[in-house]
Amino acid sequence: MTVKRLSRLQWFGLFGGAVMLAAGHILGIGLTYAECNVGGARWGIPNDPWEMAILLTAAFVMVLAAAASATIIAQTQGTSYDDDPPLSRIRFFAIAALLANVLFTIIMILDLVGNVFNVVCRQG
Amino acid sequence: MVVVTERLTRLEHQWQARPGVLGWLTTTDHKRIGLLYFWTTLVLFGAGGVEALAMRTQLARPNQHLIGPETYNELFTLHGVTMIFFFIIPMTTGAFGNYLLPLMLGARDMAFPRMNALSFWIFLGSGIFLYVSLAVGDAPNAGWFNYVPLSSRHYDPGHNIDFYCLGVIFNSIASTLTAAQFIVTILKSRAPGMSLNRMPLFCYAMFAAAFGLLFALPTLSADVIFLFLDRNVGTHFFDPAYHGSALLWQHLFWFFGHPEVYILIVPAFGIATSIIPAFTQRKMVAFPLVAIAELLVVFIGFGVWAHHMYATGLPTMTMIFFGAATAMVVIPSTIQVFSWCMSFIMGTARFNTPLLFIAGFIFMFVMGGLTGIMFVAIPFDQQVTDTYFVIAHFHYIIFGAAVFPIFGGLYYWFPKVTGKLPFDRPGQIAFWIIFVGTNLLFFPMHILGLIGMTRREYTYPSGLGWEPYNFAETIGAFITTAGILLLLGNLVYSYFRGVESGPDPWHGPTLEWTVPSPPPDYNFAVIPTVRSAYPNWEPAPPYEWLDRGHQQVESEGVDGVIGDIVGMPHESPWPPLLALTLLGVFAMLVLGKFEIAGIMGIFTLLTLVGWHSKEPQES
Amino acid sequence: MTAVPAPRRVAFPAGLWGMLMVIATEGMLLGAFIATYFYLRFKAPVWPPHGDHAPPIATTLILTACLVATSAPMAIASWSAAAGELAKTRLALVIALIVQCGYLAYEFKDFSDELHKSNIVHDQYTSIYYTLLGADHAHVFFGVLLNLWLLGKLVTGLTRYRVRAVQAIAWYWHFVNVLTIVIVGTLLSAHA
Repeated sequence: MTVKRLSRLQWFGLFGGAVMLAAGHILGIGLTYAECNVGGARWGIPNDPWEMAILLTAAFVMVLAAAASATIIAQTQGTSYDDDPPLSRIRFFAIAALLANVLFTIIMILDLVGNVFNVVCRQG
Repeated sequence: MVVVTERLTRLEHQWQARPGVLGWLTTTDHKRIGLLYFWTTLVLFGAGGVEALAMRTQLARPNQHLIGPETYNELFTLHGVTMIFFFIIPMTTGAFGNYLLPLMLGARDMAFPRMNALSFWIFLGSGIFLYVSLAVGDAPNAGWFNYVPLSSRHYDPGHNIDFYCLGVIFNSIASTLTAAQFIVTILKSRAPGMSLNRMPLFCYAMFAAAFGLLFALPTLSADVIFLFLDRNVGTHFFDPAYHGSALLWQHLFWFFGHPEVYILIVPAFGIATSIIPAFTQRKMVAFPLVAIAELLVVFIGFGVWAHHMYATGLPTMTMIFFGAATAMVVIPSTIQVFSWCMSFIMGTARFNTPLLFIAGFIFMFVMGGLTGIMFVAIPFDQQVTDTYFVIAHFHYIIFGAAVFPIFGGLYYWFPKVTGKLPFDRPGQIAFWIIFVGTNLLFFPMHILGLIGMTRREYTYPSGLGWEPYNFAETIGAFITTAGILLLLGNLVYSYFRGVESGPDPWHGPTLEWTVPSPPPDYNFAVIPTVRSAYPNWEPAPPYEWLDRGHQQVESEGVDGVIGDIVGMPHESPWPPLLALTLLGVFAMLVLGKFEIAGIMGIFTLLTLVGWHSKEPQES
Repeated sequence: MTAVPAPRRVAFPAGLWGMLMVIATEGMLLGAFIATYFYLRFKAPVWPPHGDHAPPIATTLILTACLVATSAPMAIASWSAAAGELAKTRLALVIALIVQCGYLAYEFKDFSDELHKSNIVHDQYTSIYYTLLGADHAHVFFGVLLNLWLLGKLVTGLTRYRVRAVQAIAWYWHFVNVLTIVIVGTLLSAHA
């Protein structure tokens, strides 16, 4: 793979999952507000399908980002994170992004499971 | 040799600081600004400490009336506001960050030196503004998070909360400017060869804190703007009688407030990750993971805010999102703890004062982190929220994870700033006194919280079993104070009687240890190049003298390629002038004189025009 | 020691990064205002509440379009400045400024008239409506001041510093225009 391609994959890995976490988190919380408040309830937005759609989409992108990062790590074997850039910088950010996207995906799974099994609008 | 001397002389002439008080008033040198921040925050730390001691004295025994309830309210509010906004943030970012960031990056100054000075003068103005409120008997008194409706005009009609609202916005301007400064400096002013994978972990920590500040502070500003409007204009953002929402205050506040607490500790993580390699003489284990962990703590930390609101009646389906994010935000911190501990084990640890404080920090941070994880469980949180258990948790974190590294950092970088070695034995004794004192002060609070003592009580009745814990905590507070006085006193003594340290007494890994102690005005005579994340351990051939003017290098992109040579400003009167006009604006606002505030605002704009009247030299 | 290479730009200069920081922080502030609008809206059974009204669709959209269109002359000013064309830069800035001042003058009158009809202290809707709209107008006003300052600076010609200033202020205007679209969309959504 060329350096340019690896670099693009690296940026996707670093930012793709993060952007989806922010979007999924805000939209997911917003949906619960629409469900549980009188102002939003009149729009009749079905909570479960929308939550699943948003959270699954976000999780899918995160998995892709993690896969991109893993690919870079495999392709840059023999480069240390401390070597000359750009390959070392690409590898460095790929290692970082792999950890980040694994964590983000777990957050999405927890959100998904919690929302599917806990559809109460009162304090539990 | 003659050529070198000539070039050094030329550099000294080009970068020489203006002498006297005027030089300090108009300085744009990041080192001088760092020192100004240091002295100011030290005074404010003292103020916050006195407030704490006053509260502990009041609570030493049941049914005391040394301090009345109204004064007590002001004390705990000021203590919180002072320690958070006027000590930890400005000490870690303003003092440590300002002094060290350009040195670690291989730069001669920050990207925007005059704006750097402006941050300090605005910070000083906001500190004066807040403490004037105490002097006139109108200090903020609704807690550092200032919940409505207690802080509304109906329940708090005086100027107290107006001082809070305006003081906090005023202070946040300084922090926002600092945050912008750090981000641009890190992106644009790194030495040649310092690609982002070779940037020191301290700089990653400052980067993370800066992003946090940039995106969190506006929400607080929005919140206090709404409260100021509610109180002074009669709007109804938070007024349920007119269909506003009291919880709106909490959402907006904690959206700021939770990232804020990560912003408090992340720079301190950066201090720890500087001290550990130096005192174990080993590279940090899992360097890339530690770097991303510092960023992840702040990033994921933006998503957890409503875990401060578990007892407010939020729907369970909303709380799920916050519980999930709160559970995962622990992981990056844990990765860092493992990395630090492995670095201790795999290196050759020298437990001088700096490393002792870092060891203490790790212990206290883990203790605070364990109670933090307990709060993730919503049912448990609902039992102990607003009790002393919470106070125990956050003081272990803040004192342990922010203040301990600050103390360690003072001893670590003291030789660089002053050129003298600190005496180590008194430092070690001070550490143990502070360690024992803080554990005696904060550990019993866990028990007190579990047996029912709620926070923010100015006194308590006897017979509840709270007395021995409160008394022990007060003893702990005074022991801690004694330790801190010994710590700081030793530094003063070392300044006058210490041995010359030379440029690199610790064999530290980063670039600040390659320049003389204290550093010259121009930092680096020859701009360095970097080929490692530990450039003092793996030096590279230097780049260029850069002595043709008051200049520094601007770098390009993520890979630290040379971009441009830029002219830097000399001393300037505009920053303190601008801060003064802003002080005028806020003073008039708190007095309710909105038209005069508007006129002062015009002066501010005119000062900005004056600031930009002189353009940098074309290269 | 290596020789100093000729300056080459592959990334933004520090001044433009500084403007990005301003955009980030102001965007976040207005984002908090918009989040507040929706939060209060979700809590209300009827929106707008009785006695309040949503802004008129046609006038609002036309005015917004006029303001957003000034991104074009601002972009032209930015490119012209980078190419060293002083006259073109000044002309583009003047055109943008005329439209922006016209927008601001109309909005100022409209804002005052509306305040007389329906006071900001009426309820939670008027509280957030006037604050949000007022914040948008304040940002437009500040942009007008920036353009005036820029035209003053350009009286004595273009320098590297002034080229960067034009570029930074053009970015500010693109931000304000996007912000106006989002805010107008938010306020008009009350019709839904």
